[in-house]
Amino acid sequence: MASRPSRSGGLVERIVSNATLNERPAPTYEDVQRSAAFTDLKRRLRRFVFPMSAGFLLWYLAYVVLASYAPGFMATRVAGSHITVGLLLGLGQFVTTFVITQIYVRYAERTLDPRARDIRRHVEKARR
Amino acid sequence: MNAAALAAVAAIVLVAVASALVGAYGVRRRSTSDFLVASRTSGTAAHAGAISGEYLSAASFLGIAGLVLKDGVDALWYPVGFTAGYLALLLFIAAPLRRSGAYTPSDFAEARLGSAQVRRVCTVFVLVVGWLYVLPQLQGAGLTIATVTGLPQWVGVVAAGVVIAVTVAFGGLRAITLVQAFQYWLKLTALAIPAVIALMFFLGNDKTFDRPAPPSFSQATTVDVTTDVVLRTDGPLSLRAVGEVDGTAVDGPVTWQAGTHTVESGTRLDFDAGAPVPVVEGAPVQDAGWLTPFADGNSHGLLAVYSLILATFLGTMGLPHVLGRFYTNPDGRAARRSAVVALGMLGAFYLLVTLLGALSRLYTPQLLVSGETDAAVLLLPTAVLGNGWAGTILGGVVAAGAWSAFLSTSSGLLSSVAGVLSTDVLRGRLRDVRITTLLAGSVPILLALLVTRLDFTESVALVFAVAASTFCPLLVLGVWWRGLTARGATWGMLAGGIAALGAVSASLAGAASTGLLGTLLHRPAVVSVPLAFLTMILVSRGTRRERPADADQLLLRLHAPERLGLSADTAEDGPARFRD
Repeated sequence: MASRPSRSGGLVERIVSNATLNERPAPTYEDVQRSAAFTDLKRRLRRFVFPMSAGFLLWYLAYVVLASYAPGFMATRVAGSHITVGLLLGLGQFVTTFVITQIYVRYAERTLDPRARDIRRHVEKARR
Repeated sequence: MNAAALAAVAAIVLVAVASALVGAYGVRRRSTSDFLVASRTSGTAAHAGAISGEYLSAASFLGIAGLVLKDGVDALWYPVGFTAGYLALLLFIAAPLRRSGAYTPSDFAEARLGSAQVRRVCTVFVLVVGWLYVLPQLQGAGLTIATVTGLPQWVGVVAAGVVIAVTVAFGGLRAITLVQAFQYWLKLTALAIPAVIALMFFLGNDKTFDRPAPPSFSQATTVDVTTDVVLRTDGPLSLRAVGEVDGTAVDGPVTWQAGTHTVESGTRLDFDAGAPVPVVEGAPVQDAGWLTPFADGNSHGLLAVYSLILATFLGTMGLPHVLGRFYTNPDGRAARRSAVVALGMLGAFYLLVTLLGALSRLYTPQLLVSGETDAAVLLLPTAVLGNGWAGTILGGVVAAGAWSAFLSTSSGLLSSVAGVLSTDVLRGRLRDVRITTLLAGSVPILLALLVTRLDFTESVALVFAVAASTFCPLLVLGVWWRGLTARGATWGMLAGGIAALGAVSASLAGAASTGLLGTLLHRPAVVSVPLAFLTMILVSRGTRRERPADADQLLLRLHAPERLGLSADTAEDGPARFRD
């Protein structure tokens, strides 16, 4: 890489400051891969996907652990009804799955998509 | 055949004919109609409906309610896992696979690793997974026909198999988004109406689950035992039996003491109104235990559930019909949005099924005796409303919904299997795709006629374990790890797949049913999935020099923003791997 991108620069400037993208008429995949913007995009995706998956897998497993080792707690009635804590937590698993998907979609639309668009716009401009 | 049977058969025929007609019509209009769907604002909902429609199979429609009836809260893990599996698919591989342009695991493996051998291994597992997954669908059709008409099970199996094979061969139902979406709403309606009615009946009287007692028969009930069954009762129980019980022939009144009793197939049991319901061995006997997770101190229950979660969580992404359906969305953003709606739809469906399973414990407890718990959803309408016109019509609607579940899932699977058969196995030797499709359909029909039926959800869970031990490591490592080699992928899939299949076969053959070994054989994912990942990583490390030279570039394309259209895409790039 010819020059390190300045930390304060905006997204597009950071790619522009990456000399390899500017010197050639048409950027190659390697150029994009080395660009700070792409590295940043990949890191953001990975930073979301892996901790989130680990988190919700843990939450599922935690339910099972509670059910095995704290059956008394799981059998507790909620507000004197037929519904137990275990049942509520079980149904809560559906809700979490749905909520996480929604968080992911929002994250992708707000954080990942604009960055991907910037990279694409820049690459297309450089090709012209 | 009585009125209820006729109504159900009429409804089933209506669904089959309608699907076949729309399928045939859709062949000519496919591109237009799909284009129309995609271009409308309602596109997201239609696509989500199609995803859900294809995903919700016999296991979901009949099986989960049956397991809830038998196992109670513990059965919740299946629907939770089925929905979570969709999330895993979305997070890990949906977007990169879309960019790769690969629609099946085989396509992906060949493009990513540039090896025909990996493709062959994938092909074998696509066939195994596809056929094993169609199997319970056909058996579900058999059970449905047998339950609503009293005809033998093979009639339904053959009828469903032929309808599906012909529909796929001549229509290609799978490609039509609107048909699948329609099937989702049909299934949801077929469950929602009986659920609401049964719930009103439940709230209108003083029945309750919350008691340390077994469920009881609300009226005098006769149960015909069609497969040998071991029943458990927790107190003395008087009944009349004709046939063979506990190894001796009986004909008349008997009294069972607390404990287990073996009832031979062909025996008829008569219970009085109010008698406690004996329950198939292994399921919670009392209602209170049924409401509490692991109440009966299920040995290794924790391990079994972990294994189940792992299988469903990671197996979904490896199912041939699920991946394909994801790509009918116009772009990545639309795909993500429809995934959210689809998860909502799946959630709604599974809540209804769970509710029906719970209510069936009150209304159809005789299924706990015969072991035919999978029939719960089918019998609930007449159990609640009686055999009048209301019960008859509702029964017909439910049967049609069940039929729609078999049709939609099986046709998606069958077209995947037929595609793989014609391109990879027969290599164009059979020119006619239709004949290949009929061939692909005949295998599961034969299997369904020969193999003993398991609980649907159980048998589907086994298929998930195989998919999670083969395709999941291939896809996840292929998308996220540049070090994967063709040999690593091959050995990893073989290790995981053979371990999972072998364990399940051993378990079905009755190798060990209790203890740690029995649990692991029955639910192998907790061992076979890590085994597959480890083998894949270690062998890839060992064959580092065989790493595809363009691995970096391929990986970049999987993670780069869509449609970059970079110069390296063009001719000098060599084989058109991962087209844009």
